[in-house]
Amino acid sequence: METKGRTPAVSLGASVREVFSFFFFLGRRTGKTRVFFLVGMIPVGIAVLVRILMAGRADDLAAVFSEILMVFFVTFYIVILSLFYGTSIVAEELEGRTLSYLTSRPLSKTGIFLGKYAAYTSLIFVMVTASLFLSYFIMNSHRLREAALYGAFLRYAGVLGLGILAYTAFFAFLGTFLKRAILVGLMFGFGWENVIQYFPGSTQKFSLVHYLKSLLPRQPSAGGKLAILLFRLEPSSPATAIISLVVVAAVFVALGCWVFRTKEYLFEE
Amino acid sequence: MTPVIETKNLSKWYGNVLGLSDVSLEIESGITGLLGPNGAGKSTFMKLITGQMKPNIGAVTIRGKRVWNDYRLFSRVGFCPEPDAFYEDVTGWEFLTGLLRFYGFTRAEAADRATRALAIVELSADKDRKVRSYSRGMRQRVKFAQAIAHDPDVMILDEPFSGLDPLGKRRLIKLVKDFESEGRTVLVSSHVLPEIEAVTSRIIMIHQGKILAQGDIHMVRDLIESHPHMISLRSPAARAVAAAFVDDASVLKMTFGTDGRSLVVETHNRDAFFSRLQAVVVEKGIEVDEIDSPDDNLQAVFDYLVGK
Amino acid sequence: MATIREKGYYHWDGRLEERRFPWWPITRTGIQLAFRKKWFKFVFAFGFSPAVVFLVLIYISERLEDFKSMFGGKERLITVNPKFFMDFLTNGFLVFIIVMVLVFAGAGLIADDLKHNSLQIYFARPLRKKDYLLGKMAVIFFFVLILTFVPALVLYVFKLVFAGSFRFVLEYPWLLLSIVGFAALMAVFFAFYTLLLSCLSKNSRYVMIIVFMIYLFSQVFYGIMQSIFRTPYMALFSIYENLLQAGAFLFAQKPPHAVPVVWSFLVLAAVCATSALVLTKKIRATEVIR
Repeated sequence: METKGRTPAVSLGASVREVFSFFFFLGRRTGKTRVFFLVGMIPVGIAVLVRILMAGRADDLAAVFSEILMVFFVTFYIVILSLFYGTSIVAEELEGRTLSYLTSRPLSKTGIFLGKYAAYTSLIFVMVTASLFLSYFIMNSHRLREAALYGAFLRYAGVLGLGILAYTAFFAFLGTFLKRAILVGLMFGFGWENVIQYFPGSTQKFSLVHYLKSLLPRQPSAGGKLAILLFRLEPSSPATAIISLVVVAAVFVALGCWVFRTKEYLFEE
Repeated sequence: MTPVIETKNLSKWYGNVLGLSDVSLEIESGITGLLGPNGAGKSTFMKLITGQMKPNIGAVTIRGKRVWNDYRLFSRVGFCPEPDAFYEDVTGWEFLTGLLRFYGFTRAEAADRATRALAIVELSADKDRKVRSYSRGMRQRVKFAQAIAHDPDVMILDEPFSGLDPLGKRRLIKLVKDFESEGRTVLVSSHVLPEIEAVTSRIIMIHQGKILAQGDIHMVRDLIESHPHMISLRSPAARAVAAAFVDDASVLKMTFGTDGRSLVVETHNRDAFFSRLQAVVVEKGIEVDEIDSPDDNLQAVFDYLVGK
Repeated sequence: MATIREKGYYHWDGRLEERRFPWWPITRTGIQLAFRKKWFKFVFAFGFSPAVVFLVLIYISERLEDFKSMFGGKERLITVNPKFFMDFLTNGFLVFIIVMVLVFAGAGLIADDLKHNSLQIYFARPLRKKDYLLGKMAVIFFFVLILTFVPALVLYVFKLVFAGSFRFVLEYPWLLLSIVGFAALMAVFFAFYTLLLSCLSKNSRYVMIIVFMIYLFSQVFYGIMQSIFRTPYMALFSIYENLLQAGAFLFAQKPPHAVPVVWSFLVLAAVCATSALVLTKKIRATEVIR
């Protein structure tokens, strides 16, 4: 090289920013993201169909959205996305043997973890919000002049955003120390989260979906064909739910940072 | 001279398998070759130096600072890892500029450095192709480019020549040698001994997790007193040369070639042999076509040390 | 320079013999690799719990006098008949465990080979594409049949043992064929299903998610569409519901949905056909990168 340039130190904030930028860009590019985005378009397709078939039946449309589509988002779509992208934070670097490109740079491991977490939660949020936006406004295209509609949309988006933060944090933490984090994540996301909700009293509070459902504007009813998705909900107050989800996200992100910083990762030979 | 890289009692286990055992050495600026067969512990050593792994015992420092979890050190260190692994969905350009941004360079600075690095490894024409479409040699070159693009003082290159064709290898060897004249510290590992020989005469030999030898290749050779030196010469009067040394106590063995013109001598004292040879050649007017030391190379030194 | 003859080169006069079952080493390795995973053994063992429950029910059904007080006149609930066996083979928990086993043992079958460029190594041997695919499918056959056919057969045998006579066989002479048929159907379907998804990506972690997601999503989607459109034909969207329909036909029971059973068979066959087509295109010795 012709000249020796400066070699600046990189602060934590700058590390997070640059890692976020790189992996958000990279994540957008992959085929997997396109597949997950297409899955998110299925509720949009359903919304179009329902809008056509149930034109003029406002209450039915509202019920379809809150009891069916919203439940799809809360109990399936964000869980699957958070599981894949959350566990990918560490797992994809190990499987792809690219971890050394990050850890041999002047980036703190905390910055790497936080940057990737921020990138993937943002990516998930963009995919989920796009799907939510289209399906919600298609279902409510007859009410676009109502201001309350937009408030409700922001509330739905906020609930899903909190869910994404909490689930991704938890799965990212699992991914820092478990080899088969996906499998444990599947059992948690679709086993524990479903089963625990059938228990009465405070036991429901040991699941993330309880707090998400407590924040939904219109509580879904139990039973029927969607029994696997709907629970006998004893909701927590909105403040408790928001604080719980934020605390869960913060705790698991902190734990994930700590494990990632202290653990030694060896590539499978 | 202050060592740039220093290890003290460095040891690493993988469960019950010993990766590296009690390695204490100092690496100064310039080029140092790390050589050993596959499984000797070279990559383990490289990973410990670059903070990819934590030592079980001992410590490794770069410029006096412990490596493990000190990410600030890496602003001056460039690492070319051994695995053929990349972020496959990006182009060569995006790969380099993305990684350069991690050093805190602005977009323009990163672009400028990436352009220069790609030009050095001759990948400018292919910079907009996805890395997954690169050939093995191109992938190796872009891996090298990411190690040098930020102008590091210290370069750790783990098998940098693997996958390159002979021309590519030569170019890269020349590039690495240029770094020495710029005052940088380069540690190069390889299991292909001629590659290391081409780059440097300063070597560290490793085998089964232990350091066998460290220093200038010729000095190391000289220190192996248990093994005599071999000197081969070609001359029309090979037997006359042999006759002159029959009574020399330092000569242990002489072997004639089947063509009658070659002679291989084994001696404990190479310097004394060469002085006497000079005198004999002049005195008797003997014509000598060729003189060579077949075992004054890394392979022979390595074989001696490993006990082959 | 010495000639080749002098260097000890000999022309080989032997005969090239093909291995009788060229796919067997692939199958054996796939099964061994699955059992090396710690969690897999646990999940696999858990898959036998429905069989234990149904075995207890068979025992109780033969000792109804002793358990009369438990049932209060509702002893008809435990009648061991074709429906009993159908309920065992189609119970949601067992199918869920089968899907989890496929996630563990099946997701990486082809994905890992694509990731490590192993196809070139496979096809540099005297191995045909169909041997390779059969070898991979046989891994899934093994696990699915071990969890379905083998326990069902054990239940059948224990029914005869506890009953102390062959009256059950005479009453339902075709039942064993139904068990074989349905277990085979499940094995073949899940083999095609899993390998189709496994060949679509080099990332086995992603395939694990997709294997599980599509199965679960099909059930969720059916639920959503059923709630909106209230027509039994929505059951055709669900993998599980189609298997239930097929099972009902094979065990000569009333199908759970008012949909012609042939439609369910067609849906399952369509998945298998798509899988066969995609696998034929994807499994090649050379990879073309553009």
